[in-house]
Amino acid sequence: MTEVKKNSRVHGIIAEYTSVDALLKASRRIRDAGYKKTDAFTPFPVHGIDEALGIKPTVLPWIALAGGLTGTCTALAMQIWMNGFDYPYIISGKPYISLPAFMPVAFELTVLFASFGAFFGMWALNGLPRFSNPMFTDPRFDRVTDDRFFLYIDAKDDRFDSAGVQKLLGETGTEYINSVYEDDTPSSMPKFIPITLAVLMALSIIPALIVAKMRVTKSSAPRFHVFYDMDFSPAKDMQQTTTLFADGRAMRPDVVGTVARGQMSQDLDFMTGVDVEALSRLDMPRAQRLARAYSPSALQDDEPAAEKPAADEAVKEEVKPTTEEKPTTEEKPAAEEKPAASETPAESKGVEAEKKDAKEPASESTPAEPKKEEPAAEAKPAEAAPVEAKPAEKMTEAPKPVAEEKAAAEEKPADAEQASEATAVTPPVAVPAVDNTPWLKENPLAVSAETLAKGQEQFEIYCAVCHGASGSGNGLVHRRAQKILATTWNPPSSLHDEAISSEKYPDGKLFSTITNGIRKMPGYGSQIKVQDRWAIVAYVRALQQSQNASIDLVPEDQRKQIEARKKEVEKALAEQAEAEKKRAEEASKSASTK
Amino acid sequence: MSDHAPKIKPADHPAFKLPESLGALSIPLCIGGIAALVIGWMLGTFAVDARFGMSAYLTAFTYCLTIALGSMFFVLIQHLVRAGWSVVVRRIAELLMMMVLPLSVLFLPILVAVWVGGGTLYEWTDENFVEKTGFDAQAWANKTGYLNPGFFTIRALFYLAVWVGLALYYFNGSSRQDETGEISITERLQARSGPALILLSLTTSFAMFDWVMSLAPTWFSTMFGVYLFAGGMLSAHSALAVGSYVLQSRGALRDEITVEHYHDLGKFIFGFTFFWTYIAFSQFMLIWYANMPEETEWFFDRQEGSWMTISLILVFFHWMLPFAGTMSRHVRRRPTLVALWGAYILVMHFVDIYWIIMPEAEQGMGGVTGIIASLLCAVGMSALMLGLVLNKAGQTGVVAARDPRLLESLRFHQI
Repeated sequence: MTEVKKNSRVHGIIAEYTSVDALLKASRRIRDAGYKKTDAFTPFPVHGIDEALGIKPTVLPWIALAGGLTGTCTALAMQIWMNGFDYPYIISGKPYISLPAFMPVAFELTVLFASFGAFFGMWALNGLPRFSNPMFTDPRFDRVTDDRFFLYIDAKDDRFDSAGVQKLLGETGTEYINSVYEDDTPSSMPKFIPITLAVLMALSIIPALIVAKMRVTKSSAPRFHVFYDMDFSPAKDMQQTTTLFADGRAMRPDVVGTVARGQMSQDLDFMTGVDVEALSRLDMPRAQRLARAYSPSALQDDEPAAEKPAADEAVKEEVKPTTEEKPTTEEKPAAEEKPAASETPAESKGVEAEKKDAKEPASESTPAEPKKEEPAAEAKPAEAAPVEAKPAEKMTEAPKPVAEEKAAAEEKPADAEQASEATAVTPPVAVPAVDNTPWLKENPLAVSAETLAKGQEQFEIYCAVCHGASGSGNGLVHRRAQKILATTWNPPSSLHDEAISSEKYPDGKLFSTITNGIRKMPGYGSQIKVQDRWAIVAYVRALQQSQNASIDLVPEDQRKQIEARKKEVEKALAEQAEAEKKRAEEASKSASTK
Repeated sequence: MSDHAPKIKPADHPAFKLPESLGALSIPLCIGGIAALVIGWMLGTFAVDARFGMSAYLTAFTYCLTIALGSMFFVLIQHLVRAGWSVVVRRIAELLMMMVLPLSVLFLPILVAVWVGGGTLYEWTDENFVEKTGFDAQAWANKTGYLNPGFFTIRALFYLAVWVGLALYYFNGSSRQDETGEISITERLQARSGPALILLSLTTSFAMFDWVMSLAPTWFSTMFGVYLFAGGMLSAHSALAVGSYVLQSRGALRDEITVEHYHDLGKFIFGFTFFWTYIAFSQFMLIWYANMPEETEWFFDRQEGSWMTISLILVFFHWMLPFAGTMSRHVRRRPTLVALWGAYILVMHFVDIYWIIMPEAEQGMGGVTGIIASLLCAVGMSALMLGLVLNKAGQTGVVAARDPRLLESLRFHQI
């Protein structure tokens, strides 16, 4: 070795020992001789080596302690600032700043930062990461991981002198002393490593760029599904087999004592907000699809649901009203352009050619038509609604609706596309120009104080976050979006807009919007019960009235109260304005004096 | 380390015997302890009320019991992990664990209080509980399926039998080895330590449910048994440090227990301080966060008036102070400091138990008399236990003199 590296600088000198005792003895010897930059290399931890080499206690514990305290403080400061100041939010009824709730995070961060302190502190103290060490050039050094002990004196030691060190080490009972030379081989990485890394890093930016672009682009297209969750889960047809369930049947029997979603009410008008009978005159296939989507069994039902034979409960679990409702309503704007042949109003005849599902009506020649007992407009089936025993369908006819339903579902993309095209160009609250869907003009619920109270409760739970408690479109979420200048935010409509008045936006349509959503607003059909959605409609109407109502509408005995309250509010507002003015003045004063 | 290789002294070496100055304390401690216990109990009973007196007694009992069970945990876990370092101090733990024998006898007053009924000590023994508290009758009927004197007694006898059995088995094994030096004894004790530990943990947890948690019969916390067990483990390690230090200061085991053993005990004190805190806080936080009336009552009582002071004392002086104080290696490598922290923890453990039990007596702290009564009971019971432990130590010696791992323990060295 030595002859190869004649010109190199000496890195240090190592000596090899065969036992711990010899190593410790030698260590004490060189410690006593005054060497400071020394080190020992052993296959396992050796007790007492620190003391033998004169190594001072490490400062690592202090680094770990500092890390731990930093963690505690970071966690507490972070939580206090976040929940106490930046975004005050009541969680579980606790105060904004509530120490016990902050403890778990504080504990975890303390542990984490203390570990970081110990780990990276150890790196720093040891000068790591270090990819090579001149020591490895020594041919016998490999055995340090096996059965040999090495002592090392650094050339940078003040007392270092090659001959002297060799002599001293020679006296310590070693059989092998060698000078280690600085490693002169190039220390840079092979080229391909940085290049590969650079390429990989560049590639890894692409997904982030896509996300970034989407975040700053405004779009009213339906949500882009990064995570599909169960949005498009594979559907099985009835009578098919599956490995998913133990009984091998894709169809799940109804749970005893329950009614599947969408099978509760037989009143289609009530469920959809559309006068289905009128629609069937206008556009038969669409009416049928609508009917099937909501309630595959409702059409021919004659017996109570509870007595349905098992095979009959052939309603696919996957086909929930929530997914099926969408196409039916989303297609509405499109459907206006393609009414059914028989009763087509003259003016819309021209667009019939656009019909994408031209062959559909033929295949669906089922004469069975959703016959409603009474015209929906007059029908107020509030009391007739849900829990009543419901007629069941005939067993033999079970397969058909589902197959057709599938057809309806297949058609969905095209319709949805059209729908979004139709809405994309219109301003947020404007109604598509031609909407001849026969919406229910009146709320089928009997409007009573309880209905309104229910509607208000539901409105404040689901709608008010965006639309605001007063319906003027300034809910918390919207305000937050404005505060952070969210550029992709579609502002929620003000419910007091002319376009949503009961003349322009019939109750049924409002109901359908709540159920299925519109633009970026998601549908709430799966979350809010049908009656409650109607109650919300009623409440929204009440809200609308409340904004531009004259005092004459109020019962006489209550007018006084309202006027008194109005005065109070005005007074309070005036005082507030006054106080604010004062404060502003003071602020400007103090600013100027400063 | 090779510089002065430790040697095993012969088993009958005087350094392995209990110093006479300590042995002489045995009888005075027993007598004084019984006297203090009786006076304390009577003071509590007649100056405050019967329930208060019994609660003070239960506090003292639980205090000693948790230390005994913590010591048993120590012994079992050392066998389970086949630890070498702890052999020099294990006999002290074995002696402390033998406290469960006299404690089984001292459990009798509690059993009597249960059978006397009428809410002496345990509110659930009161037959008119539902009328008095307005607790839901059906729920109460369900609860009394478990909380009734008969089943309570059966369970208690089972727990005590398990503990006494384990204590005798492990103590006798160890002390027989002093004479015979059989390695097979160690092997046998090790082999059975796993199941024994499971049995100990479950019985401890349930005993704490039965004997302590049932003081508040409508309250429940699944963590409760672990909480007391954690305090017991902490105190047992503290007691080991104190015991080692006292023995050494009187001349026993001077060469055997070294700074390395104190260092380890110190680490355990540090670790179990935090373990206790972790359990205590977890129990508190879950209840506090969920904020359900049937769970919060227990902590609510302890956030009122002077109990709140004690609660804060626990936070600052059962956790923060010893946690910070025993964190440093420099402290843990000074036997005097380790022993001092051990003694400190033993005091704080009493405060903890006091805080757990006494609020349920519903007399506050019972005024100055009440506090004196509580302290007298605790001091008396502890003195009695100490006297009995010293007596036992006088018979058997203070170290497992012929344990096969004794040499390993003597040579034990921190890295």
